[in-house]
Amino acid sequence: MSEPNDRMRSILRDAQFWIPVVVLVGGLLVLTWIH
Amino acid sequence: MDSLTADAARVAPAEHDRETGDMRRAGLLHTIGIVCGLAAGAWLGAAEAPTKLVTMGLTPVVVSLTMVVGVFLARWSLPALIQGTAHVASDCRQAPHLIIWAVLAGCLWAVANTLTIFAVRDVGLSIAFPLWNSNSLLGIFWGIVLFDELRAADWRRWLGVIGGALLMFGGAVALALASTRQTTPPDALRGVIAALTAGVLWGTMYIPYRKAYLTGMSPLSFITFFTVGELGMMTLLAVTFSAGVAPLWRELTSAREVLFWLLAGGFIWVVGDLFQQYAVKYAGITRGIPLSNTNQLWGLLWGILVFGELRGGSQGLYTMVIGGSIVMALGAGVIALSSLSRSEHASWRAAAEREAKRYRVHVDFTRARVAGNGATGTAHTGRTWIDWLLVGVATAILVWFASIARPPQLQVSWSWAAGLTIVMVAAAAGCGAALWRTTRFN
Repeated sequence: MSEPNDRMRSILRDAQFWIPVVVLVGGLLVLTWIH
Repeated sequence: MDSLTADAARVAPAEHDRETGDMRRAGLLHTIGIVCGLAAGAWLGAAEAPTKLVTMGLTPVVVSLTMVVGVFLARWSLPALIQGTAHVASDCRQAPHLIIWAVLAGCLWAVANTLTIFAVRDVGLSIAFPLWNSNSLLGIFWGIVLFDELRAADWRRWLGVIGGALLMFGGAVALALASTRQTTPPDALRGVIAALTAGVLWGTMYIPYRKAYLTGMSPLSFITFFTVGELGMMTLLAVTFSAGVAPLWRELTSAREVLFWLLAGGFIWVVGDLFQQYAVKYAGITRGIPLSNTNQLWGLLWGILVFGELRGGSQGLYTMVIGGSIVMALGAGVIALSSLSRSEHASWRAAAEREAKRYRVHVDFTRARVAGNGATGTAHTGRTWIDWLLVGVATAILVWFASIARPPQLQVSWSWAAGLTIVMVAAAAGCGAALWRTTRFN
């Protein structure tokens, strides 16, 4: 497997990555609701 | 004595000297991080000043978008001027995965910033500001839970950081209450939710920050990609909220005479944010972020001294301002004095090595960069014509908008503005010189 794919897999497997992603989605939902 | 013991006896002093040297270096970097956090507060607070010069009439989203354009110009021209884009490219070759983290952090910032505009509209600055300033408390939480900050520290350091952050929060509440007179908010719950969500987004944004700096990326490299997420997300939000590109463009062109002040606000904000990034890198989230949150104190200072806010206020109001400022400054002082212990330093190093292993980044790169040194294969490559082009284009855009800018309609005390500007420039020059001498801006 190529190195960029390897790194991408590492990001996706990193639990710390999903915390900001979930918070961003939540923030966008709140913004949509407020607007 | 057998030969092994003799070897150990010879090696042990050398090992001890190396460790002592490492600790001395870590202590120096920690001090620089603390000073950068305080300088960040001064510049981030001053970034509000140019926006006050804009007379009302623009929608909040357009104000935010224009500031982000100023931010974008600064985030590409300053790194080009200080380290050169070749240095940025070299950093990215070492840890390309951090580009995704930086863009993600930029998106978080843009959504949070837009939420604050709605929060101010619905509940006013006095309630909204302390609510979103709680981001530093969440940042401390993430620093401890995810990056082992403070884990190995003794109870005095825990007390210093947590107690200092709580003191600052208390001071922030008092200052915010004093800085605006609140009328009954029409949509209180909506505004409170918006402010709290902004705090959660900003507090979580420090995860990518710390991630990048534990891996060893230079803050100047990180911000060039951070701003791509920031501008991309902000443009998307502005187009959506303005009901299309054409209405947004019309609003921007009709306001071109005041756009310079917003661009300038964005530019000043970036200088503050840059120091905030170095504070996170060298003092950690737990110390760096609360210190940069002293921006509220500086914002108030600009408001009172330069723009004559709170003039003719009651004695109770002034007591609240002075009391809140003292409590906030005390909190910042307690955090600043909470030094880095040997065991805490070892815990940071272990977290950095875990990051290097997880993303297969060369451990020598991570070790060198975390210690503020250049790393093999990432030698300073200097500036090229691309860098001068970026600096030239950014300068030309700012100069053009300045040339068509309408003079401010507000009563401004230029002598106080000059005084505060001198303090800010002196802080930036001092921090810049220390960063250059010690880390070459790595």
